Amino acid sequence: MTHSQNRTGISHDSDNNEIVVLCMVHFKQKAEKAEAIKKMTDIVLSYSPDNIIGRPLGIKDEDIRELSPSFGIITAVFNDKETVVKLLSEIRENNLGISVVLSSLFANVREICHRQNLTEHTFNISLGVFGQTEKLPDDDTLSITTQCGHALVAPALVRKIIRQVKKGDLTSDDGAVLLAKPCVCGIVNHTRTKRIIEHMAGG
Amino acid sequence: MFIDSTLCERCMDCRPLCPVGAIRARKKEVVIVQDECVECGTCFRYNICPNSAIKQLDEIPYPRIVRAHFSDPAMTHESIDVCGRGTEEMKTNDVTHSYTEDQIGFSVELGRPGVGTRLYELEKVVQKATSMGVDFAEDNPVYPLIIDHSTGKLRPEVLNEKVLSAIAEFTVKRSELLSFISELIPFFNNQIETVVTVSLIARCDKNGRVSVFEELERNRIAFYPNGKVNLGLANI
Ligand code: SF4
Ligand code: SF4
Repeated sequence: MTHSQNRTGISHDSDNNEIVVLCMVHFKQKAEKAEAIKKMTDIVLSYSPDNIIGRPLGIKDEDIRELSPSFGIITAVFNDKETVVKLLSEIRENNLGISVVLSSLFANVREICHRQNLTEHTFNISLGVFGQTEKLPDDDTLSITTQCGHALVAPALVRKIIRQVKKGDLTSDDGAVLLAKPCVCGIVNHTRTKRIIEHMAGG
Repeated sequence: MFIDSTLCERCMDCRPLCPVGAIRARKKEVVIVQDECVECGTCFRYNICPNSAIKQLDEIPYPRIVRAHFSDPAMTHESIDVCGRGTEEMKTNDVTHSYTEDQIGFSVELGRPGVGTRLYELEKVVQKATSMGVDFAEDNPVYPLIIDHSTGKLRPEVLNEKVLSAIAEFTVKRSELLSFISELIPFFNNQIETVVTVSLIARCDKNGRVSVFEELERNRIAFYPNGKVNLGLANI
């Protein structure tokens, strides 16, 4: 799930505030951690994520909480370090025994760990894409489509949304909602996608 | 997935939704090209069709069901003892300790992002990695498809199935990292007829450091500045 280590378009110069938070119960502990993952969902929701698992499918926040034991995972996107530092602090206070993974610039994670007096446990590092890369769309399109780790956001949908925004038939805000909808894990970043749409439609 | 032509009014609204371009206009009909569709479920879940003409079979037969197992994240995977598209890999490594400091995990994802792959391309990768003596992750849906662990041969009936992506996950000795990268990357570039996304999993030392970054930099191997980090909170 998520495969967010392979997101493109994130650099020290741009889109550098995005942080995906992933909280996962090991599958053998799903039953015993049912209440813990519900609590984790409450905590994550209380920090108003930009997007969260289930939301693109129209699942209401209170239902996400109830469904979280069957998901075994909560995924959410944030756009500032301060919020994530506070979120982590509360997660630690509750000592839920659930794995927490951050996906962001490694420098951001280092800073957050430092402020929380934590050390990183395991890294997932992308070397990028090889093979027939000529089959890939342009970089701007990829910076939207790679936000869905399962690659469910189609380049053709990006092209359609950009055309509609250019013609004035759709706002960039609504366009970002439509592009986030295929991603069931709820990790397409609405704020960032809106910004990329505006850049693409204006260019 | 298929389109019920008696309900379809040919508005074409569904067409851009398909990540692999399987929804096409054919003569006077809009169709889902069955050989291209990877059964990801996106067109159905998006609820775009005004007439509910996009239909899902009640039960997809084997071996076609393998497409959904590898492509649809909302799919449950009981039917052929396949349990999800990938493993929990590093996400729960603070519980499982599957990756230790003297190992490196490789995740080789064929077809991603958005190109798709036939499983015969996956077989090439599994055979290559097998010939290099790796251990494959057992809780990955690729594992039950391997019928001969000495050669990396996959079940023959699945080879022509198309999926959105398939991930071969395996571990190598930490000391073998560079030799694996230098043998595998040219193989992917020259022998694989789709895109291949490669990532590494590295367990940190007690100070939260890994030497992999320096080693990659020293050898001019590019890596993304962003990635996933398990914070080890499950055991605190
Ligand atoms: S199920 Fe997925 S691959 Fe098949 S037609 Fe629908 S969107 Fe395309
Ligand atoms: S959205 Fe429905 S009616 Fe329109 S082309 Fe697709 S299947 Fe036909």
